[in-house]
Amino acid sequence: MKKILIASLILIAFVSCTKDFEGTNQNPNQISDQLLKQDFNLVGSPFSGMLYNLFGGQVEEDLCYDSWMGYMNTPTDFVVNRNNTTYFITWNNYWGRIYNNVMSPSKQVIRLASENNLPLFATWAKLIRVLGVSKLTAVHGPVIYSNYGATTSQIDYDLEPSLYNTFFLQLDSIQSDFAANKTYTGFAKFDPSYKGSIPAWMKVVNSLRLRLAIRLSKVAPSIAKAQGEKAMSDPAGLITANSDNFWVSLNGNIMPLAQICFQWDDTRMGGVMESFFIGMKDNRISKFYSPISDATLYADHPSDPYKGIRNGAYLKPGKERTTYSKASNDFNNAQTRRAFTASEVAFLKAEAALRGWAGAGDAKTNYENGVKLSFADWGAGGVDAYLADATSTPIAYVDPKDSRNNFTPLSTITVAWSDADNNELKLEKIITQKYFNTFTNALEAWVDHRRTGYPKIPSVAKNDSDATWGSIEVGQYIKRMPFITAERTGNTAAVAAAVGKMGGPDNIATRLWFDTGVASNF
Amino acid sequence: MLLVFCSVLCMFSATFAQTRQVAGKVTGTDNQAVASATIKVKGGNAAATTKADGTFSLKVPAGSVVLQVSSLGFATQEVTVGASQATVNVSLASQATDLSEVVVTALGIKREKKSLTYASQQVAGEEITRAAGTNFMESISGKAAGIDIKVSSSGAGGSTKAVLRGARSLLGTSEALYVIDGVPMVNNKGSQPGSYGGNDRGDGLSSINPADIESISVLRGANASILYGSQGANGVILITTKKGKAGKVAVDFNSSTVFDIVTGIPDLQFDYGTLGGDKNWSKVKGDYQKNYVRDYFQTGITATNSVSVSGGNNQTTAYFSYSNINSKGNLPTNTYDKHTITLNQSTKLFNDKVTLSSNVIFANEKSYNRPGAGYYNNPLTGLYTFARERDFASYKANYQTFDAARNLYKQNWYSTYEFQNNPYFEVYNNSKLATNSRVIANVKLSYDIAKHLKFETRGNIDYNDVLFDNRYAAGGNSVSVSPNGTWSYTKYKDQSLYADGILTFNNNYGDFSVTGLLGASYTKNTFNNGMNVGNGTISLQYPNFFSFSNLPYNVIFNSTVSNTIKQGAFASANIGYKEMLFLDVSARNDWASTLALTGNQSYLYPSYGLSAIISQMVELPEVISYMKLRASHSETGNEVPYNVVNPWNSIGGAGGPSGIGGINRNSQVPFTNLKPEIITSDELGAEIKFFKGRLGFDMTYYNSVSTNQFLSLAAPSGSGYSTYYVNAGKIVNKGIEITIDAEPIRSANFKWKTAINLSQNKNEIVELIASNPTYQVGGNDEGFASIIKAGGSFNDLYITKFSRDESGRIKLNANGAPIAASAQVKVGNVNPDLIAGWNNNFTYKDFFASILINGKFGGVAFSKTEAFLDSYGASQRTADARASATIPINAVSSTGTAVTSIDPAIYYSVIGDRNGIMEPYVFSRTNVRLAQLAFGYTLKIKNASSPIKTAAFSLVGRNLFFLYKDAPFDPEQSMSTGNGMQSNDVFGMPSTRSFGFNIKLTF
Repeated sequence: MKKILIASLILIAFVSCTKDFEGTNQNPNQISDQLLKQDFNLVGSPFSGMLYNLFGGQVEEDLCYDSWMGYMNTPTDFVVNRNNTTYFITWNNYWGRIYNNVMSPSKQVIRLASENNLPLFATWAKLIRVLGVSKLTAVHGPVIYSNYGATTSQIDYDLEPSLYNTFFLQLDSIQSDFAANKTYTGFAKFDPSYKGSIPAWMKVVNSLRLRLAIRLSKVAPSIAKAQGEKAMSDPAGLITANSDNFWVSLNGNIMPLAQICFQWDDTRMGGVMESFFIGMKDNRISKFYSPISDATLYADHPSDPYKGIRNGAYLKPGKERTTYSKASNDFNNAQTRRAFTASEVAFLKAEAALRGWAGAGDAKTNYENGVKLSFADWGAGGVDAYLADATSTPIAYVDPKDSRNNFTPLSTITVAWSDADNNELKLEKIITQKYFNTFTNALEAWVDHRRTGYPKIPSVAKNDSDATWGSIEVGQYIKRMPFITAERTGNTAAVAAAVGKMGGPDNIATRLWFDTGVASNF
Repeated sequence: MLLVFCSVLCMFSATFAQTRQVAGKVTGTDNQAVASATIKVKGGNAAATTKADGTFSLKVPAGSVVLQVSSLGFATQEVTVGASQATVNVSLASQATDLSEVVVTALGIKREKKSLTYASQQVAGEEITRAAGTNFMESISGKAAGIDIKVSSSGAGGSTKAVLRGARSLLGTSEALYVIDGVPMVNNKGSQPGSYGGNDRGDGLSSINPADIESISVLRGANASILYGSQGANGVILITTKKGKAGKVAVDFNSSTVFDIVTGIPDLQFDYGTLGGDKNWSKVKGDYQKNYVRDYFQTGITATNSVSVSGGNNQTTAYFSYSNINSKGNLPTNTYDKHTITLNQSTKLFNDKVTLSSNVIFANEKSYNRPGAGYYNNPLTGLYTFARERDFASYKANYQTFDAARNLYKQNWYSTYEFQNNPYFEVYNNSKLATNSRVIANVKLSYDIAKHLKFETRGNIDYNDVLFDNRYAAGGNSVSVSPNGTWSYTKYKDQSLYADGILTFNNNYGDFSVTGLLGASYTKNTFNNGMNVGNGTISLQYPNFFSFSNLPYNVIFNSTVSNTIKQGAFASANIGYKEMLFLDVSARNDWASTLALTGNQSYLYPSYGLSAIISQMVELPEVISYMKLRASHSETGNEVPYNVVNPWNSIGGAGGPSGIGGINRNSQVPFTNLKPEIITSDELGAEIKFFKGRLGFDMTYYNSVSTNQFLSLAAPSGSGYSTYYVNAGKIVNKGIEITIDAEPIRSANFKWKTAINLSQNKNEIVELIASNPTYQVGGNDEGFASIIKAGGSFNDLYITKFSRDESGRIKLNANGAPIAASAQVKVGNVNPDLIAGWNNNFTYKDFFASILINGKFGGVAFSKTEAFLDSYGASQRTADARASATIPINAVSSTGTAVTSIDPAIYYSVIGDRNGIMEPYVFSRTNVRLAQLAFGYTLKIKNASSPIKTAAFSLVGRNLFFLYKDAPFDPEQSMSTGNGMQSNDVFGMPSTRSFGFNIKLTF
């Protein structure tokens, strides 16, 4: 019996020690908050990732607005040539990217900034939230914003009018926080865009306010005017020179456009851009796209060796259009991408001038300045001749492999500014040039297209929209992306409430708030 | 080492020089001779068996000895043979058979089978080596009930998926625990190919030398394995290795050579070429090369050579073996080489009160270019879909061409399509090396404290050093390979430390027998302790140089290490009454480090069972010689995966020149109320033997319920988090297992033993997350979806069907092509309804033969390969359709008119390929095959001066042919042994037929 007892005691001693369990269950490849406190990495280190995730990749951009706006189009017949590019929704991923990679980490940053008495990091995180969610709302309309992080089972959406109001109020508070700390250098290590320069970020705040104000110029003109004028009068100024441009670091990743194009062979130049650039003799073409060698493909304009693919093209299996123009090789070496350029600000001001907003200056000056800034930014030459060209217009597009993809241009504009033009034509020129410049940031162009109807681009060649995700009539364009399935099934009441105020069902044919449906812009 | 070992053996030999011969005859009470009776010297190891006429002859030590005589169906009898007595005749009394069969159970504890309250089945070592297979689990397929065994189609050294009683773990493998001589063995499975490619990275089972296996016991239920804790919840495969036997030095030499012939090449056409593109849709027949596909595959050769030396005396026994497997695969350049060394010894000390034994297994494996599957970097995609009108021979001869612009060689192939590569460039220029060196070493000390009390303690270390080094040459396909080449390098060690201590008590009190057991175990696992790095499509700095120094700054090194500690304490009692009624009660408490911080890290679970030997209790008809009923209930707690309770943050990348790599903050909801999963299992069984044991039935019904499953969910968008976990779900597996074994013929010269194993499992996902009924695990993977969701079963297959109108006609679009239905629908389940194996062993004089027929019935199989080949116009099916110009179809046009025929090119281009209408590519998994055939002769050399005592020669064959098969590929040779891609073929290796010969010499 004694022996049994002793043996039992040994056995019990053997198993009783569990105190190092917690340490054992921690992954040595993960870094603790304790270690991250050093050098203030705890609050600063998520920023480069959040900035990167303001943009999407193949399924968010290339197969959505890059294609819809005619910048690029895929040669691949994804899902038997029936997918987002032909208005049948197959991928709907930007929502998840923004919530998981911008909103969720920024919530932690805001909390940690408060716990560690580094309030300006919270300010910066809030600015990145406005940057991200102002993009997301342009995709879906209502989004979760002011109730983000609620512990209730139903999390209500912010409707667009109140959402924009919230953005403007937050920009007010962000700008005043920054204004009081202009010499603060705490961001330097964590800020691949501006190396922690607060004055530079203040220009982003004003430029963003102007971007959002112009977005509302038709649906809420007085709010838009007030906010726009505020943006243009703020002493911190706007992004005015290319040296002020807001670049987002790719964090060592290859530019998604280059990966999709050069590694995956899944995207090519857009036929719409071919029509504009070759027709209007735009030298930026070689900065955006690569020339091709097969002359039979560009027999319709033999001196310009480029060929694009129609937006929403009819495609056969087997990638028969991979010999069309790729993106420019320069994108293979890109380490940053454009998030907000001085050229875009100039075009925003040009439109503001047309609308008579105080502080906007002269429309023509802004317009020509925007074109010059863009040429300089993209490294293209011959801008003066380009600006003077009052004859070259977009050309007809020919797809040598399938004539169903052909189109005649809807627009007859030229580059040269004429004060004699009416405001609509002036606006078309401004938005069209803004569209050229905003390559690789195509969401803004999609916003302008829905808001103003410019640039005048053809609708998809192949329209697969149906009752599943909403029907887009022939000649019409996709209006928005539906809410994601997880929200439709998991946050049903909140989605229903938001949809009820949207003025249409949760599908791709329902217009967003800023998209008034009124053809006239003035 | 071998030298030392041999000299030790010689020393042992010297001690039993003093022997004499005893001869005699064994009869039954009816005076009939008893053949195959065993005569053993009590306390020694000398043994002999009787011949057909009942006679025997045996060397025994000098002096008086006691002989133990036993035979199936008779009571064991002891007779004393005097010091000068040279002959002895023994008469055996008949006995209800099998009462004293001893089986190995959990933790290596031997128990009488009659006292077991749960199902167990033993497979002898000779069944494992008979067909000269390199994978011992493949060798037992069909020889034990209740196991669904699938082997990787990647050839020698490939991985295995063995699931007992159905899958239950959503995130884990549901595979059985493997135990060697009582110690759990690490069986970490490497990554498996998916739709986009990859290679089978093997598992831990290939470290075992099949020739070292004495026997395998299959403990199917969780009941049997409660003493292992959660690791045993999926059932246990107990491997008992060969040991040295006292009194004789035995040397065995075994050599086999097996040839593998590819038999499962898809049915391809070679008459129609392309119109200059990738797809063979020309309508004009041409005279093209026809044999290049068949010729691409080579005959595989696997040579296995093993030698073992064993022996010992009454104090010490030892066993040594060495084996080598050298294999050339069916794909050019694929090789596999394995060496194993096993050394075990056992020594009795202190008047035999203490036994110290040790076992060391060393294994070294090296595989080169093990075949993969999937789209990328797979030679078979380009091989099968090759543009028929082109000259394959020139692509073979010139698989690379010199690129003057870059001054290097690049792939020569006509297509840049991401799935296509030159099949020769792929195997010659892209190398995939996998090596591992593994040591499993253990020491066991057993101490007889008192007459009825014994203490055993064991320590084991399992250490494995693993390398995967894949190099893809510059100039390959741009989608999968960077312009300067792609390197994927993984090197790590797995280490498992295991220790246990067990106190056993054994005594009889009148009619009662009591066996008690008290123990504790400790397991510490450190897996994947190393690093992995891969540049993917980020370019290396210099082409074709695969080294750390050549990695660009933006490639980061990673580690996927996991550390777990598990401690257990357990107690068990087995109380017998009059050798006819046995009650089993056990309980175990576990402490798991993966549940740290939850407050649930300690958890207790019980089990109990009852067995009754009816044939001992009541008088049964004479034909029934034995009858046992058993019932048991067990619960098992299962810890959760490593590092899920409260993970920290990860570094998201290398950063750029303008900043540091960002931190990805952990955005998982902390799960501090996490609970262990619980598996409750009930089983009922009956064992009945007729005709003195010549016919036996073993039936089991089981019902196992898994609850508190650990499930991962995407957090609601607005919650502030990205993922969260819940304990939820209820998965039920119930089924029946039947084993029938019989000896229909038992004559002096001819014996026929036969066994049929049948099992049926029904899996039901009763609930996953009650509040989220649409929750599912798995999703669409390139047109194939293997889905686990409430209301269904594990691995339900979902695919896209045709869109049809009300009257069932296929809808066509404006171009006349079939329209896909908008959502995928369930078309079946990949798991079979019935698994059957029929094993037969014949002996006629010195000839022997064995035939194994295996069948799986029900379930579905899916072939993406066929879908691709059809859309590429590469299958014979498309040629036949072209020959008849149209395919009959019951369809309706977009304008509503009936359509009865369709152009083959339009039809197959739409239904096939990646995400097409996969309806025509779902097949039945049902297949019946001649799984094993062996035929041989054993030569017993009577001449005492011959060093060779027996020589056996046999011809063996495996997977010889199908008696029935519906799918165009072999559903049991799997492209993946993971959870998701079961019964799915995406350009996996074609199935093979194996045959060869085996020579066994005993010295």
